[in-house]
Amino acid sequence: MKKTMISGKGITKSFGENTVLHGIDVEIYAGDFTVIMGSSGSGKSTLLYALSGMDRLNGGQIHYREKDITNASEKELTRLRSEDFGFVFQRTHLISNLTLYENIRMAGLIGALSDKETITRADALITRMNLDGAKDRLPSQASGGEAQRAAVARAAINKPSILFADEPTGALNKANSEEVLNLFSALHSEGQSVLLVTHDKEAALRGNRVLYLEDGEIIGELNLPVYAGKDKAREEKLSTWLEGLGW
Amino acid sequence: MKKYRMLLKAAIKKQKGSIIGIFLLMFILAVCLFSALTLYISGVNSVESEMHRLGFGDFTIWVSGQPEGLETELESVPDVDHVLSQPLIFVDYEINGSYSDNEGQLLTYDGAVPYRFLAADGEEQPIPEIMPGTVYISPALSSSFDVQVGDTIQFELSRSSNGTKNLTVAGYFADAFMGSSMIDMKSFLIHESDWAEMQDMISQAANVDVLGRTGAMYHIFQRMDSGLSDLDFHRQIHESTDISLYTEFSYGQDSILSYMLLLQNILSGFFIVFSGILLVICLIIIGHSLSVVVEQEKQDMAVLKAMGLSGSGLRGLYLTLYGGTVLAGLLFGLAPVLGVAGLLAKAMVSSTGLLVRVSFPTGMILLILLGILLLFALFLFVQTRKILEIAPMQTIRETDGGKKVISALQKRFLVLDIALREIRSGKRKYIAICMISAFLALFLSVIGRMGTWLGPNGEGLMNTFSVADHDLGVQPFNESVPMDEIERIINWYSTIQETYELAMQSVTVNGQEYTANVLNDTKWFHVLSGEVCDGDSILITDTVANEMGLTIGDTVRVAANGRMETYTVSGTYQCANGMGTNIGMSLTGYSKIGNITGYIWCYHYILENGPMRDYAFVYLQEHYRGIDVHTNSWSGLSGIVFVMHALIAVIYLVAALFILVSVALTASNLLQTETGKMAIYKSMGLSSGRLRISFALRFLVVVIIGTGIGICLSAFFADPVIGRIFRMFGIGEFHSGFSILGMVLPMVTIPLLFFGFALAFSAKLKRISIVKLISENED
Repeated sequence: MKKTMISGKGITKSFGENTVLHGIDVEIYAGDFTVIMGSSGSGKSTLLYALSGMDRLNGGQIHYREKDITNASEKELTRLRSEDFGFVFQRTHLISNLTLYENIRMAGLIGALSDKETITRADALITRMNLDGAKDRLPSQASGGEAQRAAVARAAINKPSILFADEPTGALNKANSEEVLNLFSALHSEGQSVLLVTHDKEAALRGNRVLYLEDGEIIGELNLPVYAGKDKAREEKLSTWLEGLGW
Repeated sequence: MKKYRMLLKAAIKKQKGSIIGIFLLMFILAVCLFSALTLYISGVNSVESEMHRLGFGDFTIWVSGQPEGLETELESVPDVDHVLSQPLIFVDYEINGSYSDNEGQLLTYDGAVPYRFLAADGEEQPIPEIMPGTVYISPALSSSFDVQVGDTIQFELSRSSNGTKNLTVAGYFADAFMGSSMIDMKSFLIHESDWAEMQDMISQAANVDVLGRTGAMYHIFQRMDSGLSDLDFHRQIHESTDISLYTEFSYGQDSILSYMLLLQNILSGFFIVFSGILLVICLIIIGHSLSVVVEQEKQDMAVLKAMGLSGSGLRGLYLTLYGGTVLAGLLFGLAPVLGVAGLLAKAMVSSTGLLVRVSFPTGMILLILLGILLLFALFLFVQTRKILEIAPMQTIRETDGGKKVISALQKRFLVLDIALREIRSGKRKYIAICMISAFLALFLSVIGRMGTWLGPNGEGLMNTFSVADHDLGVQPFNESVPMDEIERIINWYSTIQETYELAMQSVTVNGQEYTANVLNDTKWFHVLSGEVCDGDSILITDTVANEMGLTIGDTVRVAANGRMETYTVSGTYQCANGMGTNIGMSLTGYSKIGNITGYIWCYHYILENGPMRDYAFVYLQEHYRGIDVHTNSWSGLSGIVFVMHALIAVIYLVAALFILVSVALTASNLLQTETGKMAIYKSMGLSSGRLRISFALRFLVVVIIGTGIGICLSAFFADPVIGRIFRMFGIGEFHSGFSILGMVLPMVTIPLLFFGFALAFSAKLKRISIVKLISENED
């Protein structure tokens, strides 16, 4: 029996006259690598930001570990972001005047880690992300892949309960995308819950649960076995499912 | 043309915060500068025209008695055009239980001299019919004696039981000379019948009892074709007539103007200097704002250039936008100038003694306005040259590289560490703030030092205007005054630490009339340079040195009572009394030419417990006749001190307003360029509160450095700068040591104001959602 980590009920979000999410009910389970797919403008990023408490709703409720965070205070949300949630964006959004290493450390310092723990974990993540040679570079001096790997490390340093990733490979070439997705898969294999938004089938293949969003509503759900390397059957299953949804 | 109009409209919409900020800065600058100029120019014009209207000559000499034939004698002096005289009575007076420590001069009002009548707030009133038993006074008296319409003034004409004449205050009039708080003697306008009665009281009193005395003011006009300097003309009058025998004191038109305008000149002077500082700050802020905007809009400008828009066209767009804002701020700032200058003029009525008739000095202001506009046009032209350097494709491809900084990141000081890192990686952005705070600290420190020197009760002014320091002075006028008893009483209030004697006597130095301050113990003179005087030498003030071209070691002829001796100038000393037109002599020195017997000596006492002087002063005034008691102050000082303290407060207020607008501009520019970064920090879990504190800390750190620089600069330059300004008013030396007002207050308030305002302006960080910030950054 899977344990619900985040649950959303009747999630509605509008921007002016334009309603993007139409009363969505969704549950995100602990330990899952959940992927939200959908075409451009379907509302998948909006749903991710709604579930992570980054954006306020026009209607509905969000619960995190059974606690209502729909109208959580700034203080509560800040604590969640610094300790329980990790974020990876399409653009790396690293702090431009901090080196890759400092960007990773900064997240630890903002979170609950001590100075010493931060250094230990940052050092480990640098090695794990294969960033030893680039750690002292500023984001502008690093390659896209290096910067995004640093962004993943930054999101992971506080060992968050869940990693939210919004199109993390959207701005990367194929090789760099592969590298970053491998990191997500590796983290997931260690028990890290991941919620990833993408319109890339390759990225979606990393998940064990895929939700399909269209016009602000979830119209399909596919459960897959946990990713364990390239698997043709798995690819075909996803492709067939997506075709059935008009992908 | 249409495309530029469209772009201009878009730029105004996007940069409305900066535009409003710059407009406000220019508005404040214009109000400060032009109000001060208007007050200054109007003050000079107003007092000058009032003096002419009231018939003041090139020289006005006050004489005691009514010497026969003196007017004819004066008119026969070769360079004298004509002479006007006004009879008067010199008399001591008491208001609301307080005795004046100086005589008043009574004048009749018969309409021949067209005095203006005023309400208590300085507004001009219709000419009233002066009724017997009433008196019109200078508004300056209301600040020194708290006198109001309906109060009674007792004029003591003789010691006999019916020697006092009581008159009721019916209103105020403008006195173009004695109205000023800088002059202790005050004029009173009375009815002819009262005048006649008082003259009778004087003439009928026995010689030993008489207190009041008649006298006259002679307004002497120099011939238009006379080639004599003021000094030579004055000398000619004294050498050709017997006027020296009767002279109480005399002043040239320039001296009178200096007295009347002293306070507003100091006020206007400081406001004009302050405006200069504000002008520099405006240039710094506009320069900073423009460079941030060019940086922000670089990509758009590159795209526009790629679309075929010329660099000079884009430059013209920004010149129009910023130049137009500067012009609009200055022009709108002109609108309240008359009102502000008028308000200041009204506020100073109780110190200046007349209402400065404020008029707009169009020519001068237009000239200065043009100068400022040219300066800004040139500045903007130079600042916008960067627009020409934007290479379209290179700029489009550019990304914000950031700057690598090596500095510690510690959990405990994370908020401060982030702030320091931002400052170090974006040094250029913060130089402007640092410079602004340095300039403000420098100026506020200068003002604060002046305030400290001034002291809560005007001690600074007291000491510079008095011959020598003292707590209490008692001058007996007859032999029946029991000085032993008086000293016992003073001792009862507070132990007398030291005592010395001072006589102020009229002398001529090389034919020019001055007051000689004679001390029996010369160590009390405030010697500025050279040596203290002895029996063969004198001390001179800087004013006398400049007027007569004298230096230490020169010899001068000093004469009094028909006797003349040659003395050497041993040094310069500080005494701004009479705008510095005085000399210092020793008792031995003066005894060679003057009579040192008689009741010319004033006993000065230094008390162990200084503040007790006020109680001793009141007691002696109330219980003894035939003495003049005074403290080291004068009746109008409190009004002057009030105005000076108000000036300091207003300057602090304007500075705070300027800091507010400066922070609004720089903070909004910084926040605009850093929205993405702020959003990232927020997404990482840094609370808005900590982000805001970190943001405000950047200002605090930079401003502490700037303020420190400003305070250090003031330590080196404040005294010489203030000294130079004060020297124009006869105050030869200015020294300020450590002071809370001059050092601690600016050091604390400026950084705190910057920090507080930055914290307030960063509130938008709390309101904007992270998603919006991030998506804006991704666009």
